[in-house]
Amino acid sequence: MGVTVLQQFPMVENRTGPQTIEFLTKRVVALGAVQTGQFLVDCETYMSVPNLGPQRTVHVVHNSEAPASVFAVLESGQRSVPLVADGLFDLLMQKMATIYSKKQPKIEAKGPRFEIADFCVKLGSVTMGQNFKGVLVEVEYRPCLVASSCWELVREFLQGFLGSVVPATPPPYLQNRMNELYQPIDTVNQYLEQFAQYRKATGVR
Amino acid sequence: MEPFYTALNAVKVLRSSVGHVFDTLGNGVRADHGEENKDNKFLLELQELLSTVNVNLRELDQAVNSLTPPPGPFNLGNSTYLTQECTLERQALYADLVKSYKWTDKVHEYGNLAVTLFSQNSLKRSYINSSSKRRRMQTSSHNVPPQTVDQVIGNIDRQFSDMSVTIQRPYATNAVLQITLGRILKAMAAFKGLMIEWVVVKGHGETLDLWTESRHKVFRKVTENAHAAMLHFYSPTMPELAVRSFMTWFHSYNTLFSDPCKRCGNHLHSALPPTWRDFRTLEPFHEECKP
Repeated sequence: MGVTVLQQFPMVENRTGPQTIEFLTKRVVALGAVQTGQFLVDCETYMSVPNLGPQRTVHVVHNSEAPASVFAVLESGQRSVPLVADGLFDLLMQKMATIYSKKQPKIEAKGPRFEIADFCVKLGSVTMGQNFKGVLVEVEYRPCLVASSCWELVREFLQGFLGSVVPATPPPYLQNRMNELYQPIDTVNQYLEQFAQYRKATGVR
Repeated sequence: MEPFYTALNAVKVLRSSVGHVFDTLGNGVRADHGEENKDNKFLLELQELLSTVNVNLRELDQAVNSLTPPPGPFNLGNSTYLTQECTLERQALYADLVKSYKWTDKVHEYGNLAVTLFSQNSLKRSYINSSSKRRRMQTSSHNVPPQTVDQVIGNIDRQFSDMSVTIQRPYATNAVLQITLGRILKAMAAFKGLMIEWVVVKGHGETLDLWTESRHKVFRKVTENAHAAMLHFYSPTMPELAVRSFMTWFHSYNTLFSDPCKRCGNHLHSALPPTWRDFRTLEPFHEECKP
């Protein structure tokens, strides 16, 4: 588990989702990457029922990189409480159907996974329900656990195959945690941050 | 060797001239002897050939006389039995013999090369084969009381605030160091007295032991370079300085992921950060960019 940077790749007019993925795949492979299967990150969102006071939201996230864990982030007002549990948590959520109910369609990112030296690259097409929403690019630099010491390096790597769309600053979630040891939940939070943007957007982004 | 070759050559010449005699005899009188006196001409030719044989035989005699007989019987080992089997095909030995001959030849050649290389190698770290003066100096770096080692390492530990060094002694008196460099990497170094014998570098999140490699390519490269450095800094006369220089050099890896290469200005080259640090200036370079 190393520092991971998640960023969206903007869609252009005349290119479909699969075409974009293929376009990026070609670039990554040209850098010398080898495909190592597929990946999937999915997120179910539950809302608390209205008669329990102020509304709370629970995002339950699965990440194929950590297949034995279930990640949950509880949002109430400004606070967010992260939780990492094992697979049984899914069943627990079903039991709590009377308190937390599913209101929003499932959102997920899936696509090919690549490895190049110590980097791991994932090209995910984001779908909400049945609708294609856009493309997310995840780059993990596995040897390094502190974002501040390798952000420039990861940025250079991202620029190598994404070009000028790479921002000069780290993702907002990561900015507050630049000097802390990177945890799997940090990746999940970055996905939630991006998924929230997709929810707000109408059409593809 | 020279007379032996002459003798063998004489045998060859004799065989050829005898062969010629029988050849001529077998052909009998030929057309180029003409019609008149053809018998006489044939006899004359035969006589000439026979005298050549005589001359050659005499030469062989002389060559053999100049040879010194071997002192005793040859001991041929198992190969004496070869004479009992007379058909060559059934032994099928020829190819194998040629192969092994070539092999021995090569071993001999490489051996000679290796001897010249090793004799000028300045990085020799073993006890073997050294003058009495040299041996005294080496003992000083191998055979140091544990307290001195502790003191030297302790000083190094205090010297760098972001590098912590702890000493373990799992194998009797020789120290094994566990080095933690910021939150970038960890390393293990095995000592013999004050001489660094082995270094393994791993990532911050990996479990540390002396024998397994890191699962990250970048740390495997750094381990390789650390081995080069421990040989470079090794100094039998000033073991303490050697350890201190190595540690100072190693400490420069705390910017492994954040410093760009001094030559090309980039962070990455073939998806690796600059893994090489110059021994003197401690400047970062990519493997491919290093001066």
